[in-house]
Amino acid sequence: MAETMVRMGELAASAVAGDVLVSLGLGSCIGLAVLDRRVGVAGLAHVVLPDSGGHGPQRSYKFADVAVPELIDRVVAHGGRRPLLDAVLVGGASMFAVTSAALEVGQRNEAAVRDQLAKAGVPVRAAETGGGRGRTIRVHVGASRITVREAGGVEREMQ
Amino acid sequence: MTQYTDLQLDALRELANVGSGTASTALSSMLGRSVDISVPHAYVLPMADAVAEVGDPEADATGVVLGVVGDMGASVLLLFSPSDAAQMCALLGVEAGTEIGDSALMEIGNIMGASYLTALGMMTGMALEPTPPAAATDMLAAIVETVLAERAGAGDIALLLDSQLAVEGSDASVSFLLVPDAGGVDQLLARLGL
Repeated sequence: MAETMVRMGELAASAVAGDVLVSLGLGSCIGLAVLDRRVGVAGLAHVVLPDSGGHGPQRSYKFADVAVPELIDRVVAHGGRRPLLDAVLVGGASMFAVTSAALEVGQRNEAAVRDQLAKAGVPVRAAETGGGRGRTIRVHVGASRITVREAGGVEREMQ
Repeated sequence: MTQYTDLQLDALRELANVGSGTASTALSSMLGRSVDISVPHAYVLPMADAVAEVGDPEADATGVVLGVVGDMGASVLLLFSPSDAAQMCALLGVEAGTEIGDSALMEIGNIMGASYLTALGMMTGMALEPTPPAAATDMLAAIVETVLAERAGAGDIALLLDSQLAVEGSDASVSFLLVPDAGGVDQLLARLGL
């Protein structure tokens, strides 16, 4: 029973029931959970930017095009079955109301993550994305429960 | 991990020192009170560590962000705790958490950001200009990571120049951060001949 912090550009997977994978205060970043609910395996990636352009540093999971395939592989390595995986997305907010288009990285992150999931054939089961609030995601391994909390709000279960 | 020498970090800290000194003078004349500045910190960190260095990720905070355009891309980020925001707004005779309160904090950002950048520009010979400010009240991590995400680009290392400014005779303080683009740091150092 341990909380594993998944910080910017990090990812983690677990098959240990009771483990909790957490990303605190997601703004424009996406917290992407990938689960095999029947065997109780789950992984979480904290995606920062949409596209590495092929030039990302090695072992950096900041970019959607690198992080999404790697997360899926890790979940499978922990015993998840590729055809039975589903995904949950949290984050991708526009934190600052009046900004340049360059800051709308939240929307671009979500689009890139969804694109990579579609390529891998992993369906999106639920999403709480966009808007203007930061969010915390907790993935409860084993129970395959996911909770989300918005700034100033209470922790809620996602379906 | 860090690719900068102590000498280079000292130079960056000195830039932050002069920049925040100028910004504190601007804040002081806006508030009609003296403003003290702390010795600034220059953090060079993996991006994953940077958020926690700034504070408790889930703490409530108000952030005012300004883009920097010109010879170097960067963001200026001012962070206020809820009590700092309340006291700063009270000093200006407005109520925090309202539209007018936010706009007062954005004006503080504008004035401090512009004077910081003017000082930085004079020291380095760079043309630097702020873009209009935007404000958000949210979890600290959500504010900081959104600014880092925009600036980090391909780099995995974040540079934060952090100065604390405290208003005399009140508990109000503000954290002032300059977050340059990955290439911007090298540009700053090159201008200083380092």
